[in-house]
Amino acid sequence: MAFTKNPQTFTGKVAEVVIGTGDSAVTIGGENVFPLYSFDAEFKNPPIVGIDISDKGPDRNIPGIATFFEGAESLAEIAKRASEAEGASFVSFSLDSADPNGDNEPIEDSVVKAKEVADAVTKPLVIQGTGNGEKDGQLLGKIAEALEGKNVLLMSALEDNYKGIAVGAVLAYGQKIAAESAVDINLAKQLNVMISQQGVKPQSLVQNVGTAAAGYGFEYVASATERIRGAALSQNDDMLQAPIITPLAKDAWGVKEAIVSEEDFPEWGPAEERGISMEISTAVACLAAGSNVVILKHPESVKTVAALIGELV
Amino acid sequence: MALKGLDIFKLTPRTNCKDCGTPTCMAFAMKVAQGTAKIEQCPHMSADALATLGEATAPPMKSLKFGAGDAELSIGGETVLFRHDKTFVSKNPFGVSLSAENADEALAEASKIDYERIGERMIVDVINVEYTGDKDAFLGAVKKAAEFGRAIILEVSDADAAKAALDLVKDKKPILNGANPSNYKEFSEIATAAGALLGVTGTNLDEITDTVKAIEELGNKELVIDVGSASVKDAFANAVQIRRAALKDNERSLGYPTIVNVKKLAGGCSRKETGLASLFTLKYGSIVLLSGISYAQALPLYGLRQNIYTDPQKPMTVEEGIYPINGADASGPNILTVDFALTYFIISGEIERSGVPANLLIPDAGGYSVLTAWAAGKLSASSIARFIKEQDVEGKITNRDLTIPGKVAVLKGELEESLPGWNIIVGPNEAVSLVKFLKERYS
Amino acid sequence: MSKFLVIGERIHVISPEIKEALATRNAAPIIERAKTQLEAGADYIDVNIGPAERDGVDIMKWIVPELQAATDNAPLVLDTVNQNAIRAGLEVYNPVNGRAIVNSADAGDRLSNIDLAAEFGCIVIGLLMKKGVPRDNEERDEYLQTMLEHAMEAGMDPAEDVFFDPLTLVIKGMQEKQQEFLDFIRTMSEMGLKSTCGLSNASNGMPKHVRPIVDNVLCAMSIGAGLTSAILNPLDKELMNTIKTSEIILNHTLYADSYLDI
Repeated sequence: MAFTKNPQTFTGKVAEVVIGTGDSAVTIGGENVFPLYSFDAEFKNPPIVGIDISDKGPDRNIPGIATFFEGAESLAEIAKRASEAEGASFVSFSLDSADPNGDNEPIEDSVVKAKEVADAVTKPLVIQGTGNGEKDGQLLGKIAEALEGKNVLLMSALEDNYKGIAVGAVLAYGQKIAAESAVDINLAKQLNVMISQQGVKPQSLVQNVGTAAAGYGFEYVASATERIRGAALSQNDDMLQAPIITPLAKDAWGVKEAIVSEEDFPEWGPAEERGISMEISTAVACLAAGSNVVILKHPESVKTVAALIGELV
Repeated sequence: MALKGLDIFKLTPRTNCKDCGTPTCMAFAMKVAQGTAKIEQCPHMSADALATLGEATAPPMKSLKFGAGDAELSIGGETVLFRHDKTFVSKNPFGVSLSAENADEALAEASKIDYERIGERMIVDVINVEYTGDKDAFLGAVKKAAEFGRAIILEVSDADAAKAALDLVKDKKPILNGANPSNYKEFSEIATAAGALLGVTGTNLDEITDTVKAIEELGNKELVIDVGSASVKDAFANAVQIRRAALKDNERSLGYPTIVNVKKLAGGCSRKETGLASLFTLKYGSIVLLSGISYAQALPLYGLRQNIYTDPQKPMTVEEGIYPINGADASGPNILTVDFALTYFIISGEIERSGVPANLLIPDAGGYSVLTAWAAGKLSASSIARFIKEQDVEGKITNRDLTIPGKVAVLKGELEESLPGWNIIVGPNEAVSLVKFLKERYS
Repeated sequence: MSKFLVIGERIHVISPEIKEALATRNAAPIIERAKTQLEAGADYIDVNIGPAERDGVDIMKWIVPELQAATDNAPLVLDTVNQNAIRAGLEVYNPVNGRAIVNSADAGDRLSNIDLAAEFGCIVIGLLMKKGVPRDNEERDEYLQTMLEHAMEAGMDPAEDVFFDPLTLVIKGMQEKQQEFLDFIRTMSEMGLKSTCGLSNASNGMPKHVRPIVDNVLCAMSIGAGLTSAILNPLDKELMNTIKTSEIILNHTLYADSYLDI
């Protein structure tokens, strides 16, 4: 009798996108099976984990992060240290100071910082903008120019700025971009369509379909991600086949469970462990739903999630 | 999964004899599929065909219960592989796996997890007691686990110890997890005699399938499947393939709930256990066992489970009421938002972050987000006034500042009319600006 | 819930241009029509070479590789009553982008085309007719069963390997038969069977300005009833938009504002 294997493989497959250069370049996507289902068929490129650093420096209020980055002061040193984190396949650099609702640092300064980071690391680089469409539209174009030849991934092209980023970053300087939608599958598809219509090829396009921390409406994230991945594979919908990248550090470390102090909630134990746990749980849930790439912030979460992927796929 | 006409047609004799009263076998098959004819109307169906049909129309996955009284848990009964197709049915219980060596500490730790989140009490649902070779010690641990008052799993493949343990706790309706290809006959008898569910495992899916089928032959279908612990990769492959075979490929013998013991997969790393427990919450673990559950683990895991098992058509809501934050008392200012759980979490989180003691007012707004609730008439001046009155806000709180979401600024005028004596303040449009807003105004 | 399959009908011996090209073995205009149809969204290209009693084998041996070489091995529907010609076409067919479709078998003389398709592991269109067109759904039912059984005996999976064609009937003159036609599509859909048909037949004989409206509405109603493919003119943009929209409404594809452009 035994077990009748009935593997689900699809004609549709996730597009492959390469970021970075040389030996440390990584390829994401390419699978034609459901997330992590390496028992159905070879999982072309196992998901990867990146570590995020802010241009304001690491969050040294978190003891483990402070220890990890001890002695690293300049952005170059910080970036280099981050790139050495166990399990990190790439470094993500967040331009938090450029936020027009915050410090609103001039674009030239952000470009200098990005260049410093890019020159310090050999691993692939992902640049995270401010989340402000207008500012990112200008900022990411300039960074694309300054980092020409580095094959970086720029986050994120939004509905109101994708044209400039698509043309300015991808077509002019050969960088990769991620289309960002917030848990809205129709918008996710629409953005991919519009970016493709600008002339961006599948091998240059990644999608960030949105996230939330575990417990904070994650059901929407799970379903949006699963439906997008499902349509890419089973309906062979080539406008949804971009690999999925999920930067989740801000969400995971931004919820009450990760923030409130042990003094206020003694039974909950140290805040750091809660943050790590929230980050790991959210990351693994994203991967199970269909993310090809997750971006985390704590070196311990990076290590754990990367090791888990290694054992799974 | 309902049978299509074609599947039924394949089982008919295909003679068009009309004995069923329908002109062709095909038309008859269609009627059966639609439910307008019964398969028994055909006098020529073979016994095999009837058995196949009967099996195909049964639910694809068994729905079972274990634990007694307050500790009773439902597992299984799932009908879909993805939650956007239909609601997942039975929340996966989280359990702690212990043995005689650490029973006292493990139970003491497990008792600490007890809190409420959106109307759901979060506790360690299950205690799994491992047999480590010493029967008396095992029975001692089983007794302690029974006194703990949660559902129990007895993880033991020694028949003698299993019987003795069940003698102690069979009224708790535990799971006896210990059947394998070499002992299943005896274990099935032991479990059936005690009215316990039987956990079945094997070194691979072939062994598991064969053993389950052999136990079914004995007439026992009160089973759960332990996906095994050979490796992370194997356990995941088994959990997915078991569920998929049952729901998609109509393999009835795998239509049982599963046990996933991540303690055995994680090699002593609690963070890894957290990751694995998250994975199996999304992908098909019916019961998930860890070596222990700290608050750091429980907070994301129980939150994730609550999310994944919500009805995709029906948003989670928080109960109408007054929620004091940062130790606010009757003199604290009032902030109002809707009862959509996600909105509640975001707003309460921002207020906490501001450090300002404030009272968060949550009226019943149909579980919609602010703008949707307003557009649907669920968040209006009259509904807010009703809430203030019914919840006796004026009696409980002396402060008369009421901040409403910026997105419903239009309500300000009406509210001032229906709530005389109140100072209606229009808050920011986005939650992220709330910290700044509150700090500037109140600290 | 797989995607609705569009079979391009524009390579047909009735077209004087195609007839001439086939006769003179001039592949260029045929390739051109294949390409424009593929660009317009056709999934399969129907290649109707007519009865071709005399030279059907030669034509298929020549045109199948020519077409596939020029179109990155586009999937083809081999369409002729000459069984030997279809066999010759199948022998040189490259299935890398989709199995060939034999057009067509019926419940009568051409039942053996099912065996031919089974032999090559390809798909066959089964016309629900024997001598003439079906009188009513009872006859369709009978023909359907005949072909289903034949396909199963030949080792085919009748849910995947046969597209049943309930045969559209001209509306003008056979208005009262249209409801039955739609009912039968629904029946097949509920059976779990795939279906196809030549939609534009229904509007034959109608004024030119009316035909597109009739084609569009019948197409939408048929897809709504469960039709899974059709043989049609993919250059008809309105019709393609109707199909895309039907698929959105039935949730076969995910909506995006630009869905008509893709």
